[in-house]
Amino acid sequence: MTSKTDEDALPLSGIRVIDVATVIAAPYCAGILGEFGAEVLKVEHPIGGDICRKYGTPTQRGDTLAWLSEARNKKSVTIDLHRREGVEIFKRLVEKADVLCENFRPGTLEKWDLSWDVLHEINPSLIMLRVTGYGQTGPYKDRPGFARIAHAVGGIAYLSGMPKGTPVTPGSTTLGDYLTGLYGCLGVLMALRYREQTGIGQYIDAALYETVFRCTDELASAYAMFGMVRERHGPTHNDFACPYGHFPTKEEGKWVAIACATDKLFARLAEAMGRPELASSSLYGEQKTRLENRHDVNEIVRDWCGSLTRDEVLKRCYATGAPAGPLNNIADIFGDRQFHARRNLVSIDVEDLGETVIVPSVIPRLSETPGKIRHLGPRLGEHTDAVLTELLGMNQEEIGELRKKRVI
Amino acid sequence: MSDGQAQTETMITEDEELSESHGHDSEPRLPMTGVRVLDLGTFLAGPHAASVLGEFGAEVLKIEHPIAGDPMRRFGTSTKRHDATLAWLSEARNRKSVTIDLRQREGVQLFLKLVAKADVLIENFRPGTMEEWGLGWPVLSETNPRLIFLRVSGYGQTGPYRRRSGFAHIAHAFGGLSYLAGFPGETPVVPGTVPFGDYFSGLYGAIGIMMALRHRDKTGRGQIIDIAIYESVFRQLDEIAASYGLFGKVREREGSGSFVAVPHGHFRTQDDKWVAIACTTDKMFERLAEAMEQPELASSALYGQQLKRLAARSEVNQIVIEWVGSLPREEVLNRCLACEVPVGKLNSIADIFEDEHFQARGNLVKLEEPGLGEVVIPGVVPTLSATPGRITNLGPPLGNATYEIMRELLELSADEIKRLRQRKII
Repeated sequence: MTSKTDEDALPLSGIRVIDVATVIAAPYCAGILGEFGAEVLKVEHPIGGDICRKYGTPTQRGDTLAWLSEARNKKSVTIDLHRREGVEIFKRLVEKADVLCENFRPGTLEKWDLSWDVLHEINPSLIMLRVTGYGQTGPYKDRPGFARIAHAVGGIAYLSGMPKGTPVTPGSTTLGDYLTGLYGCLGVLMALRYREQTGIGQYIDAALYETVFRCTDELASAYAMFGMVRERHGPTHNDFACPYGHFPTKEEGKWVAIACATDKLFARLAEAMGRPELASSSLYGEQKTRLENRHDVNEIVRDWCGSLTRDEVLKRCYATGAPAGPLNNIADIFGDRQFHARRNLVSIDVEDLGETVIVPSVIPRLSETPGKIRHLGPRLGEHTDAVLTELLGMNQEEIGELRKKRVI
Repeated sequence: MSDGQAQTETMITEDEELSESHGHDSEPRLPMTGVRVLDLGTFLAGPHAASVLGEFGAEVLKIEHPIAGDPMRRFGTSTKRHDATLAWLSEARNRKSVTIDLRQREGVQLFLKLVAKADVLIENFRPGTMEEWGLGWPVLSETNPRLIFLRVSGYGQTGPYRRRSGFAHIAHAFGGLSYLAGFPGETPVVPGTVPFGDYFSGLYGAIGIMMALRHRDKTGRGQIIDIAIYESVFRQLDEIAASYGLFGKVREREGSGSFVAVPHGHFRTQDDKWVAIACTTDKMFERLAEAMEQPELASSALYGQQLKRLAARSEVNQIVIEWVGSLPREEVLNRCLACEVPVGKLNSIADIFEDEHFQARGNLVKLEEPGLGEVVIPGVVPTLSATPGRITNLGPPLGNATYEIMRELLELSADEIKRLRQRKII
């Protein structure tokens, strides 16, 4: 499947990915593979396409900004999988693919005669990422799931908010989608490695709620061993360490985060506050003492932060190496030197929109083979003709016929 | 590992796999079998990458200071084992602990011998620390040109803030996530858990390693992966940058909701419990209206379209608040599920332990740990059909594999090991 192009040097050059998934989770996996050289064919329904096109803030082109950013580097090919002819074309594409990403509810692909068994027979080395809310097995497998629900089921939503108050969104309602995309992508890359050694393909079963739950440190262990049920902690989190939380400064609406995970880091904070004696062993030098006196310690830090501007708090912390940072909003981020120095914000021209759109750059950063954003999310069906002609060898007449019948 | 060794290893494992089908009890081949990872990181951000690779067959050597060890050993809830909190037991899974003091010259020499036999090195010191010890990239890559080097730090290896100390908690704030958690105009709260961003960074790091391994297979050359924790947080904020860039829109805290859809949030039930409901699309709202027995709400004259619901956010939310508040949690769930509405309980960890789906999927793994009894930890994610990952052991005692590695891998004599130990180099 290798074709010589200028992308040959990237780790996934020559790998073809079909992304028949929707919204963010499984597509994000395809997105990362695309940044590192894979060819990603986004297969969409001919009418409307991926619902991610409507998710977020619409642009004049119709597609949202979330789509433009997250469908980066993909080629859009429209195929109606509800139609028999559509399924046949799709199978021909699968035959020529390395990876398939999907997130239908379990049973949907099976209904279309596109089960793992069928696809695996068509292409024994195929790797298939299956993302769902609850996984391919278990009693809830048929329930619809979004990241919002996964945050709740996986235990993160319960932990976000003021003590006993309304649980809030943990910052962003799509975190679990990205998280699942990451675990899924890791699964695909491991499966590719295994395939290269054995020739055998496999599928990866990634559940949104599981990836969220996997990131809850010792939540499960502490409940099992000590019956400890972790609750919402508001702006501070003092289960493990103190001071550890968000503190308001003298300036309205400007907050700082402080994280003294170890005694050494608290000593640096005490120094920054001009009160090194706080870190003595007779006062709050040890984590255990600070945790026992969390109320007092938090109060001292709150008073100090509240007496200074945000910049002054941070300047003093940085001077002694105390771990602190601003609670940035997106305007702060656009004005930040580090974001600029690291080129975290990239401007990409979208020709048919006549605008430049700013999106987050590629993560992770590789020294020899850095990933690339070649273009943002494509128009619906932008590459249908090219892919059907070049990859499946169809002629204009066949394509015209399929289009008339609304199969593509 | 040198080329020759890697090939030998592959052949041996294939033999093992053949005999495996004839009832041999050795471990089947996994995707990362034959890959050796040195985890020099502390806490979670770099180490989570090593954990996932270890679950899928890599040999992970945790390199620790001979006296203090990884501070993660003291982070979290203490156990009867003095060198292990519960967080350590769970997140240092599948490792062997090897102690080496890198602040001593001889320790550095010893460490380089391990580097020569490794595939991946993971570190998360403040940028510049490795260099101070004489372990900069030129030295490492000269020692082992095939080495893949994952570097995780709060702010990355470059840029004006690179020397600042960073934790996920700071990275959540700096990367723009913490600002968004909480009610509008009120206190910004911790977005779920404090080490969330460490996991993100570990995942991006592991993905980087997998890519770099592919590149190495083709070219024979290793490379550096530079992960900033704040970047892995920022990358996950969908269109926040794009919409500020294009429309100057500063996203604020959204309470229990979201800017993208309505109703999309957390709702209190009659029995004072909580459910999440996510009507991301019009179809989902139609189903909810049906579950609420008010199908007319989804008509185009009322709230059938997302744009109309967004414009009438508080009215629509109020309708859902009242409906959910009039029923016990089980009833809300049953009615929503009957209509296929995306709904879920806001589970506490106690709820999770009682949940039949968590049980059925094997998400809570129980392991016996000598002296501690049963320890429950989250199982392996993701699930691979042909090569599922596995957990071989919990976070190891400090230095449990030092002798084995010095003796067998570095082929030091027993006397030499004794001498190094006396001088507290290992």
